[in-house]
Amino acid sequence: MNLDELQQQLVELVNSGDPVFANAAQQVNELTEQAKAGQLSSAELKEILEDMQRQLSIINEMSQLEFKEKLNTVLNGLITIAAVV
Amino acid sequence: MKKLVVILAFMLNGCALYDAYMQTGFDNQEYMLVTQIRTDAQSYKKQCGNGLLAASNAQAISAKTDLFEKYSELIPRNENGISASKSLNAIAQGLAIAYVDPKGEPSATFCKLKYSSIENAAYVIQHVVGNRPR
Repeated sequence: MNLDELQQQLVELVNSGDPVFANAAQQVNELTEQAKAGQLSSAELKEILEDMQRQLSIINEMSQLEFKEKLNTVLNGLITIAAVV
Repeated sequence: MKKLVVILAFMLNGCALYDAYMQTGFDNQEYMLVTQIRTDAQSYKKQCGNGLLAASNAQAISAKTDLFEKYSELIPRNENGISASKSLNAIAQGLAIAYVDPKGEPSATFCKLKYSSIENAAYVIQHVVGNRPR
């Protein structure tokens, strides 16, 4: 798959209607354009794209932790109420 | 009320309940570190055009994210936090390595994008660390 085909897929993601995917795809598209214009080297572009993957990993880990935090609040609330009732 | 607790226990598997109940509480040092990283990234991003400052800033922020990773890694029942701190540190180390690369200095665009990545990642972590049970 060449760069133009990848950019076409990005355009499809931008127009997907999903705001998260659209925003991420827009960012990647802008980065690719910056690399094409010589503002970023290919090594720099690779590193920034890898950072996006790392950020997705952080969002995933923190979503799981946020779920546990909410569950912890519910459990402690139930334990407090159960102790009173 | 006891019925409600039993229903909740059946709805979620035992491990999820245990993890949630036993999870690490709020740690003000951890929260302070990630807040400093986010604030530094915001500040250093403005200095990407200054070659001398940019290089020392990159070393400074990578030292702080390294400290954050090491601080997080031995906190018990903190698997998600450990993974996130490793990823955040990897983003910052990539910036520091670029400034010691003999091939040449990284571009200001790269520097700004790196700090944006660090800032965004630190914000996500800060939000969740700040909500830990007290």
